[in-house]
Amino acid sequence: MDVRTHMSMIFHLDKCIGCHTCSVACKNLWTDRKGAEYMWWNNVETRPGTGFPTQWENQEHFRGGWERKKGKLDLKLHTRLEGIFKLFYNPSLPGLRDYYEPFTFDYQNLFNSPKKDVQPIAEPISMITGDPIDIETGPNWDDDLGGSNIYAKNDVNLEDLPQEVREQMNELERLVFNYLPRICNHCLNPACVAACPSGAIYKRDEDGVVLVNENDCRAWRMCVAACPYKKVYYNWNTGKSEKCILCFPRMETGQAPACAHSCVGRIRYMGVLLYDADQIPTAANVPDDELIAAHREMILDPFDPKVIAAAKENGIGDDWIESAQNSPAYKFVKEWEIALPLHPEFRTMVMMYYIPPLSPVVSVTEKSLFRLDLMQEDYDFELFDRLDAARLPIKYLANLFSAGDEGTIRTVLRKLLAVRIYMRRKTVHGKVDSVSRKTLAEAGLTEEQAIDMYKMTTLPTMEERFVFPNYHREMSIKAILDPLTHKGEVGLGYIQQPKRGE
Amino acid sequence: MEVKHKIWNSVGGRSFVILLLSGVLLIGSFFQAAASPGFQSSDEGKDIFEKNCVSCHSIGEGSLVGPDLEGVLDRRDRDWVRDFITIPDQIIVSGDPIALELLTEFNNIPMPNLGLTEAEVEALLVFLEGGESVAPVADAPLPEGNLDRGSAFFTGEDVLENGGTPCIACHTVGSVGPFGGGNLGPDLTRVYGRFGEAGLTGVIKDIAFPTMQGIYVDKALTDQEIADLLTFFATVDAEGEEGVADSATTTFWIIGLLGSGILFGIMAFYWPRQRETLSDRLRRDAGITSRRHS
Repeated sequence: MDVRTHMSMIFHLDKCIGCHTCSVACKNLWTDRKGAEYMWWNNVETRPGTGFPTQWENQEHFRGGWERKKGKLDLKLHTRLEGIFKLFYNPSLPGLRDYYEPFTFDYQNLFNSPKKDVQPIAEPISMITGDPIDIETGPNWDDDLGGSNIYAKNDVNLEDLPQEVREQMNELERLVFNYLPRICNHCLNPACVAACPSGAIYKRDEDGVVLVNENDCRAWRMCVAACPYKKVYYNWNTGKSEKCILCFPRMETGQAPACAHSCVGRIRYMGVLLYDADQIPTAANVPDDELIAAHREMILDPFDPKVIAAAKENGIGDDWIESAQNSPAYKFVKEWEIALPLHPEFRTMVMMYYIPPLSPVVSVTEKSLFRLDLMQEDYDFELFDRLDAARLPIKYLANLFSAGDEGTIRTVLRKLLAVRIYMRRKTVHGKVDSVSRKTLAEAGLTEEQAIDMYKMTTLPTMEERFVFPNYHREMSIKAILDPLTHKGEVGLGYIQQPKRGE
Repeated sequence: MEVKHKIWNSVGGRSFVILLLSGVLLIGSFFQAAASPGFQSSDEGKDIFEKNCVSCHSIGEGSLVGPDLEGVLDRRDRDWVRDFITIPDQIIVSGDPIALELLTEFNNIPMPNLGLTEAEVEALLVFLEGGESVAPVADAPLPEGNLDRGSAFFTGEDVLENGGTPCIACHTVGSVGPFGGGNLGPDLTRVYGRFGEAGLTGVIKDIAFPTMQGIYVDKALTDQEIADLLTFFATVDAEGEEGVADSATTTFWIIGLLGSGILFGIMAFYWPRQRETLSDRLRRDAGITSRRHS
């Protein structure tokens, strides 16, 4: 057992209101630079939809992630030999038109326009060429099902749904969507790291943040093509690749990443997960339907004395172990087993998890007319037993979060519904009846767990949502250099010392 | 901890201190300014001569690469000598009769611009006025040179011991290399004949050309390397043909232009046949044609 620590984020999709505050916070903090205009280290997608870049999940086109061949894991992008031949021509690489041409508007014209018979307008301008453009698409062009006949209809995850279900989802009264915020998943088996010919990408030891060393990056852009989530971006100005850094400078000072901190719906949780690094190769190489179980198996119980002993042997401090014990991530992923990785079939072993959304308000048919109705208990129970009636097809969620395994999604949704029913009985009716207890038991939850889940979902404090250990950066300096050697130095340019005349 | 400066705290005291300091600085700067042009000694001039001139000139020991400078100030106008030391290249170009005559007399080897400052030239003149005689550098004889090694040092196949840049970076010689050498410096095919063995040795040892000085400042060639290079230059002078590199450059251009033409041709064919992006394909399937990319 090789115990390691990881900072993981949980996205509670039921709470996401699709406001894009996370994206804007991230953009303002990190990617508001020349060459980074088109990058959205954090973006929010409407589902069903094609996401950003368009149809990024279509790995037949983009060839990201890993492939299982003859019991061995290989990059889907290319073998080593193919990689050499594709060094200068890599057709799987997304181009700017796969993302969008970043634009702004000529606002000055509103102020400086000469007197005319018509109102001046702010013309759209390309942020790359500076020329006026016709905006064709954007990072969330299909937001809230905009242009759904083009985008939502072509969602890759709808592919193996029966045709009549797909048609139903297009009917006005049955339209349904939810939001999917995405950042870099800081995978345990990152395809970007594996694909980099320069060895410029690495996974940080203490918290698992995957980082690009910009000094080593030589702009091969293999990472951009190999990442199945398309979360490494190429900066055309600096000629280096860039990606989400999980706001490590903020985490090191005990603050939540900008996207999580600014989240209006408070959908994001963060905490330490302990995992067994020895299990990564086996857990990434199991058949599709065992992926979730193997992934959960790899996450270790921070209360287990054996795990604690092994962690200490690996040099993990008491405060990190304690932080792992208080981690909301551990509760959601392992204790309640309701948080799932996004697209586990890409086999990169992602460390960001999603709690799948319960469908929005059920629509019922009455006298052959559709009526949006507030859920009554009957419908609650009906849905609990007949999840297939949910507006968002189970198969669709399964394609997103469990490599197509509907059973996993059913279990999770039944848990979420059981807690909802139980708490409604308790707060609205004032007492818990045997029926709601039975639902809980059927979903595999105890009453305490239900109450904990309810509290963690609805009423968590900032400190409960974000549990950060001390990073001890002073120790990592000490590990490399005696701190006294820095005494008398300027304290600037730790990596590249300032030199006169250079 | 607070230190009380009594003088600084009163207005009068403060002005006094400032005035005093300005006075000190002002007087100091006068001395500094006065100190610069004076004090030129013939010692200083001798140093400069031994460093820069002695590889080509002697005083009272006969002509080498350049003329014997004994009594040069009696033969020539002092101002002319000063100008010729400072900017010989410009004076030769301007067609000065004395300069041209000297050029013809000394095998068309022009005096290089040494980049000396006005003060250094002045010191040199003071030294020449003194009439002290200076013998040419009498170094230990060079070891036996080797043609192959010399050729390898020239082309950079063998690394010069002190890390100096190989000659080919700036010079071409005979028919070296498929495309000749660099053309920042002159063609060295006939250099052995022009400078002679002693002159060439001196020029390589105490480099007189400002461009080369900077490059070899801490990377002087060893005696063995110089000997090897001399053997190489002697052979090339006897056998080589000048101007081979020029025709090679033409070949280089033709191959380069043809090659890039072919590459652009291939690109022109494949550029419009690039894979369509999924985003464009979705819009095209839906019948939306963009105004720019239709």
